[in-house]
Amino acid sequence: MAKVLIPTPLRQYVNKLDAVELHGSTVGEVLGALTSQFHDLRKQIFNDEGKLRSFVNVYLNDEDIRYLKKDATPVAGSDTLSIVPSIAGGATSVAEPPTTLSQEEILRYSRHLIMPEVGMEGQLKLKNAKVLLVGTGGLGAPLGLYLAAAGIGRIGLVDFDVVDFTNLQRQVIHGTKDVGRKKLDSAAETMNDINPYVHIDKHEVALSSENAMDILAPYDLVIDGTDNFPTRYLVNDACVLLKKANVYGSIFRFEGQASVFALPSGPCYRCLYPEPPPPGLVPSCAEGGVLGILPGVIGLIQATEAVKLILGTGEPLVGRLLLYDALAMRFRELKLRKNPDCPVCGEHPTITKLIDYQEFCGIPQQQPAQPTAETPGEISAVEVKAKIDRGDKFQLIDVREPHEWQIGHIPQAKLIPLGELPKRLNELDPSVEIVAHCKSGVRSAKACNLLRQNGFNRVSNMTGGILAWSDKVDPSVPKY
Amino acid sequence: MIKVDTKAWTTMVAHAESKFPNECCGAMIGRIDGDTKNVTEAVPLENAYSGAQGARYELRPEDLLEADRKARAAGLDLIGIFHSHPDCDAYFSKTDLENSCPWYSFVVLSVKGGRFDHAASFLPNADQTAAEKEELLWPKS
Repeated sequence: MAKVLIPTPLRQYVNKLDAVELHGSTVGEVLGALTSQFHDLRKQIFNDEGKLRSFVNVYLNDEDIRYLKKDATPVAGSDTLSIVPSIAGGATSVAEPPTTLSQEEILRYSRHLIMPEVGMEGQLKLKNAKVLLVGTGGLGAPLGLYLAAAGIGRIGLVDFDVVDFTNLQRQVIHGTKDVGRKKLDSAAETMNDINPYVHIDKHEVALSSENAMDILAPYDLVIDGTDNFPTRYLVNDACVLLKKANVYGSIFRFEGQASVFALPSGPCYRCLYPEPPPPGLVPSCAEGGVLGILPGVIGLIQATEAVKLILGTGEPLVGRLLLYDALAMRFRELKLRKNPDCPVCGEHPTITKLIDYQEFCGIPQQQPAQPTAETPGEISAVEVKAKIDRGDKFQLIDVREPHEWQIGHIPQAKLIPLGELPKRLNELDPSVEIVAHCKSGVRSAKACNLLRQNGFNRVSNMTGGILAWSDKVDPSVPKY
Repeated sequence: MIKVDTKAWTTMVAHAESKFPNECCGAMIGRIDGDTKNVTEAVPLENAYSGAQGARYELRPEDLLEADRKARAAGLDLIGIFHSHPDCDAYFSKTDLENSCPWYSFVVLSVKGGRFDHAASFLPNADQTAAEKEELLWPKS
């Protein structure tokens, strides 16, 4: 038998009991049994249509049943149900949420309004919803377009980048005419063109431990469209601390994943990945590439989950990690459990405020660039060019992949992809200085470490890779 | 009638003044003896309203649940909710009414210029369309 705790003022309807034990396998059955046994209680918690009154919340142990399976939430004999009112107020009625749609909005949203799962009530929920989109890049682009079109009332955008030609292959919210503009301006303009009823907040900052709580606080839910680990952990932790859903998505080459994290009933990103990978192990999209269409698929899965959460309909992607493989065209699903020892959402959290996420992810604080003083083991593209021009004896190796070499390369360089380097060490002369380069300097730094571990002492990494070469030495080498 | 004892009242006023110019909120715990609700403990709760809090408050149901558990554990009852009106009189506003519930006493503390000014208690009806004023006794200093 499940136990239902009765709030003091309602005890008069249940023979002054403070708790009632009842049979039932779901929340709906238990509440049904309660109100059929105590008739007078019924109108206190249900309205005339037999639905829970607007101010009544039902908790199964510590969790709101709205985030479980509502009435259908299974109940075990050891469970306790609590009836808790939602209470709010304020001295003046500032910005009362809209309770109607204009005729033009009714036309605009008519395909939503005729679906019972959305209807007028649902469309007003969307209009009153406040959603924060972190990033207006690959994932943020389809998210911004469709959430605006769907009629989300207020959308916050966080980005500090400008539109670049390399973005256009996937970031469809920006156009060729927008190259060089702030992504925030370009995205907001497109979204308001699609739907002028959407209010857009532009947050032109890099999300940080100092500003995240303030930026996230006014929103109902947060959608993570970031591409780096420090920000992903930051968004996750802030969502857990603020008890807001974190609609997660990530993409790489042909594969993507999505889930809904940080709801009290489900796991968070840290339950899945307690520790970040070592820096440099997982290449970013800039390093590893991404199929341009992929973020469209993943971003729209995130948009779908956001809209479902707002409407309170369907089965949210909570406790499930959806994996998408575009090459195989397969979706798979992994079950995720809430980790009771999770440092942020577990039973005894050790992270109770935001931490230093750069440090957590092993990324050293960025030092201001000092072009004159080079770090030992590093060499600039300009210096490499000078060595070539002087006729210095050294080995220049390009550790990128053959398809990148085809886009453009330094004529004097020898191509040894990073993955092949361990078995091709015999092609290098340990007595002669080696300079390694890649696209931007990350893979070649690994190559340098590997060479040093194998007894090559005179090794340097060309900072900034072929991109720096194109910028500083030879602009005819295309950037990609 | 709702009667707030000195300890609980001190907590409520201190909470309301410390949150000024924002609204504060919290739960009132005690015992009901016949027609009198005796508040012996006040539990300050976080204002969870996700916008400007100068004229709005929101209680997290989880926090209220926790306060209710605390009361039960002590053999007491959750009997009311309090919140403040910064630089505004202690009346029951439309916002207060529409987001209330008929089960509890709602005590409103008026805080002016950062100092407690006056207070009143209200009992909202089930349809959240009207609230009746309830006699409130607090230790006048």
